[in-house]
Amino acid sequence: MDVLRDQNWLLSLGTFLPLAGVVIMLFIPKRDEESAKLVALVTAIATVAVGAYTLVKFDYGQSAKLQFFTSHDWIRPIRATYTLGLDGISLPLYFLSMVITLLVIIYSWDHIPSPGNAKAFLMLMLVLQTGMAGTFVAQDLILFFVFFEVVLLPMYFMIGVWGGEQRQYASLKFFLYTMFGSALMLVSFIALFIVTKGNTAEGGSFAFSWFQAHGPEIAKTTAIWIFAGMFVGFAVKVPMFPFHTWLPDAHTQAPTQGSVILAAILLKLGTYGFVRIAIPFLPQAAVKWAPAIAVLACIGIIYGALGCLAQTDMKRLIAFSSVAHMGFVMLGIATLTPLGVNAAVFGMVAHGLITGMLFFLAGSVKERYHTLEIRRLSGMLKQIPRLGWILGFCAMASLGLPGLAGFWGEFPAIISSWNPAQALVGDGKLDLFRVLTVVAALGTVLAAGYLLWLYQRTAFGEPNPEFTSHGSGAHSLSAAANHGDDHGSDLHDVNTYEWIAWTPLLIAIVVFGVYPQLMFKVIDPAVTNLMRVFGK
Amino acid sequence: MSQFLREYLTVFWFAVLALLLAGLLLGISALVRPNKPTAQKLLAYESGVDPIGDGWSQSQVRYYFFALLFVIFDVEAVFIFPWATQLERYGTFGLVEMGIFVFVLLLGLVYAWRKGALRWV
Amino acid sequence: MISALVASDFATPHVDYHALAPEIVLGVGICLLIVLDLFLAESRKWLVSTVAGLILLGAVLPVVTLGVIGSDVRSMFDGRYVIDNFSLVLKALFLLSGYVVVLMSSRDTEERTPYQGEYYTLLLTSIMGMVMMASARDLVSVFVALEFLSIPAYMLAAWRKRDSKSNEAGMKYFLLGVFASAVMLYGMSLLYGVTGSTRLVDIGQAVTGTDHLVGVQVLGIVFVIVGFAFKVSAVPFHTWAPDVYQGAPTPITAFLSVASKAAGFVALSLLVFLAFPAAKSVYEPFLWVLAAVTITVGNLLALKQKNIVRMLAYSSVSQGGFILMPLAVAGTGDARTSLRAVVVYLIIYAATNLGAFAVVMAVSRKTHSGEIASYGGLFNYAPGLAAVMTLFLASLAGIPPFGGWYAKFGAFKAVLEARTGAAYTLAVIAAVNTVVSAAYYITLMREMWMKPAPDGDESPVRVPRNLVAALVITGVATLAFGVLPGFSGYGAITGLAGAFGR
Repeated sequence: MDVLRDQNWLLSLGTFLPLAGVVIMLFIPKRDEESAKLVALVTAIATVAVGAYTLVKFDYGQSAKLQFFTSHDWIRPIRATYTLGLDGISLPLYFLSMVITLLVIIYSWDHIPSPGNAKAFLMLMLVLQTGMAGTFVAQDLILFFVFFEVVLLPMYFMIGVWGGEQRQYASLKFFLYTMFGSALMLVSFIALFIVTKGNTAEGGSFAFSWFQAHGPEIAKTTAIWIFAGMFVGFAVKVPMFPFHTWLPDAHTQAPTQGSVILAAILLKLGTYGFVRIAIPFLPQAAVKWAPAIAVLACIGIIYGALGCLAQTDMKRLIAFSSVAHMGFVMLGIATLTPLGVNAAVFGMVAHGLITGMLFFLAGSVKERYHTLEIRRLSGMLKQIPRLGWILGFCAMASLGLPGLAGFWGEFPAIISSWNPAQALVGDGKLDLFRVLTVVAALGTVLAAGYLLWLYQRTAFGEPNPEFTSHGSGAHSLSAAANHGDDHGSDLHDVNTYEWIAWTPLLIAIVVFGVYPQLMFKVIDPAVTNLMRVFGK
Repeated sequence: MSQFLREYLTVFWFAVLALLLAGLLLGISALVRPNKPTAQKLLAYESGVDPIGDGWSQSQVRYYFFALLFVIFDVEAVFIFPWATQLERYGTFGLVEMGIFVFVLLLGLVYAWRKGALRWV
Repeated sequence: MISALVASDFATPHVDYHALAPEIVLGVGICLLIVLDLFLAESRKWLVSTVAGLILLGAVLPVVTLGVIGSDVRSMFDGRYVIDNFSLVLKALFLLSGYVVVLMSSRDTEERTPYQGEYYTLLLTSIMGMVMMASARDLVSVFVALEFLSIPAYMLAAWRKRDSKSNEAGMKYFLLGVFASAVMLYGMSLLYGVTGSTRLVDIGQAVTGTDHLVGVQVLGIVFVIVGFAFKVSAVPFHTWAPDVYQGAPTPITAFLSVASKAAGFVALSLLVFLAFPAAKSVYEPFLWVLAAVTITVGNLLALKQKNIVRMLAYSSVSQGGFILMPLAVAGTGDARTSLRAVVVYLIIYAATNLGAFAVVMAVSRKTHSGEIASYGGLFNYAPGLAAVMTLFLASLAGIPPFGGWYAKFGAFKAVLEARTGAAYTLAVIAAVNTVVSAAYYITLMREMWMKPAPDGDESPVRVPRNLVAALVITGVATLAFGVLPGFSGYGAITGLAGAFGR
């Protein structure tokens, strides 16, 4: 494959820069929280700067090709290489991960969750960033696997140490589910390697390009089994319907920063795996699996939406909405058409921006009201109007209002499922996909339902007297409601750190909503290139 | 029958044979031997002398020391005698080898001496 | 006259002193250590441990020079004692893990029991047996090396004389070890009887030809494998391990679970690759079952443990199953890949497990407890210890970028290379088991990071210098093997298959 090797140090720098920050932070005493925060912030800014430079230097005319490509021997005996490269699919996700990390660190400036220890918290965050960025630029299966797994422990600790009441249960569940997926995934990777390299003891490679060339040659039955292993690994991460149960717990219990990263980036590792690895390497198996994936995706859409309607906790509701949104992404992928996958990649980024933002909001609401129970929240627009308006904006974006980013992920995905790839026509599969189109469309209606209902209950109406704080009466009221904290003093509107952290996301939601071509033109050549195997 | 099972059949027959043999020996002797228990027969046998005191008796730990030392140097002799009969045959090489062997044992003796194992306290 | 004739038959064997240098250094060192201990004043006894460490490092030197100077195979005594890349890598492993054990021991033994001189002498003797094992290519030398390394280990397990648990450990280990040796010897005698040679390669040539093996051969192979299954504590021959590990002094537990186990696997690999290459229809199914059962049962039992040493004991049983996996497909799959997988697993596992035990020792200095619950709050009062323990546990669980993932990767790859239904099944069983194992490693992590200290005592832990050194060595090794697995001696062992004459 054609690659561009200019400035091949750039991706390594962008990926490993956060680790340099971690090393520096090791030498900062635990008590000195300010310095720790400063170092983390500077590291994150530097990382984003490298990312921005990457954006500038990226050759948009050739976004189907891997750019800033570098390849070295890494583990010779098993033919794993250190190969990094960036194309149109990776670029938005790679940059998004950097930006989100920076915003989360800014948000952390005055929001270090209990039990404190900013140093450890921020160090984990930076390690997480390396893992996420690395996953999006790795062009070698083993390297991909290592980066994919690097995120596991930091996230586990982030949920388990800094999370809510049920944090230990939630973090364990998260860990074991992901571990289960990745164990089977690793077995599939190795099997894929062994099958493609043939009977020769030498030869073969773990580089993506090798599998792109030789994966499609594998016998269909073998390929279907190998795909199954990868499917479990990626589907747990996405999460797809039967494997999704870790998500609501993890999201609800994670600290705000953890939820944001989880929703904005970690879930994308799974869908990215499908787009980059499972489907292009094993197209013959993908054709067999696509209907099943599409059905599961639609179950996810409906199930997630119904789950949302049943939630009493705002954060849990947003978590379930993630299941539904990732269902749209998976539906787009399952069509195996350039349009569907384009929509999926766009949906990944849009969901990252919007749901990340929603989790920020949930965190801020929790901080102010000390509860996320929808029943007890109301009248936000009166009490803290700015936050209330932002919540409304994000809810609209999330339900897929045209003109905002969310729309361009869902709408084309639904359209594409009406006309799936040529290989998926016949045997009644076309009918199946068309039924699913209708189901998915129904899902958008439900999405509108639960999000508007959420907004209506929390933002409209009169503020809950429990939280109105005029004079000492309110204190006794809140005391009567068994909440000893002084809520009144917490009820401030959006503060500076929050503004800094949120504004870029809000702008991005609008910009990509109004001018989606900005991203589509980057993604499309790369997606078309990957989907070539399916004809058309 | 697969080849695997056929090969492990040997192991199976071997186990069956072992059980049979052990069972047979014990079983036959149980059947054949006369069984007339008396109080005398149940007594602990002690060199024809009437047993005195407990069956659980203690002896001086010092005896063990000497027994062990004796065994060690006894083994040394067992090695040295055959070597001595073939002394010319092994030549210098054999001499050095035996020298090392004796040296190591000597070290053991020094150890026993320094630790006070040679004194009869 | 006759004697002169006979004498001419005897040719002085060629002795390659350079090749034997590690053994010679160790042997002389052991003698020196005994004398030193006898004549040192009580106040200067600490010298003994330092000297013991130096001897081990001194023995590593010739291993390095041998590796650097010539890649050729040095064979002695009719090929019954061979120094090749395989043996050099393992010798280095045994000596270095011995060094780490010495580092771990030097404070521990001082505080708990007298007789340090004997302790180190026995330790070095045991290591000497392992070093010999790596070079043994003959049933007799394998057996001698095995006893050489086992007998001191029996005594070391019972080292805490006043502790009934330690006595029980020693006794149990001794009885079961002797029993295993007896079974193995029986198998060896059968093999010798059938093939007429004790040299492994000769046996390998004799146990072949017909595809239907003679019954006695099958018996011999099975008995030998059972004997070593005891040594490597494979289920169902594992029952001694947890009791012995719990009762023995912690450094010795680390030593047994790492070095002694590795020696057992070395012997097993020698037999599988040299003596039984043509008998894969016999050993493969047997080892397959052993591996699958060992991984699963070890994991399930580890899940229930409340004591950290017992937990690590069962975890090491389960890890042993992973090492058995490549051997279970050694004939059908790619022999080189299998052997490399075993060696790499042993190396990485050694670094990781020694480190985990070092942390256990450091923590127990403060808590004086082996309960998993006593690790609560460790992250708060000793973040460094908690972090390295997390590193070791993650490595044991096989999470990148820590060494363990690469070990597991190698094992999986070796198994999948076989491309048979049985192999795929084994791989999936193992994959599911990594999740189960993650559950108990994560329990300990949860205790350290998320629970408060059980007694509320948050005073920092004072870790003695030598323990810090042990932690640094093992920690750096574990991380390095994970990030750049090329370090784990992989490159050097590629030449091994040639040395094996295959």
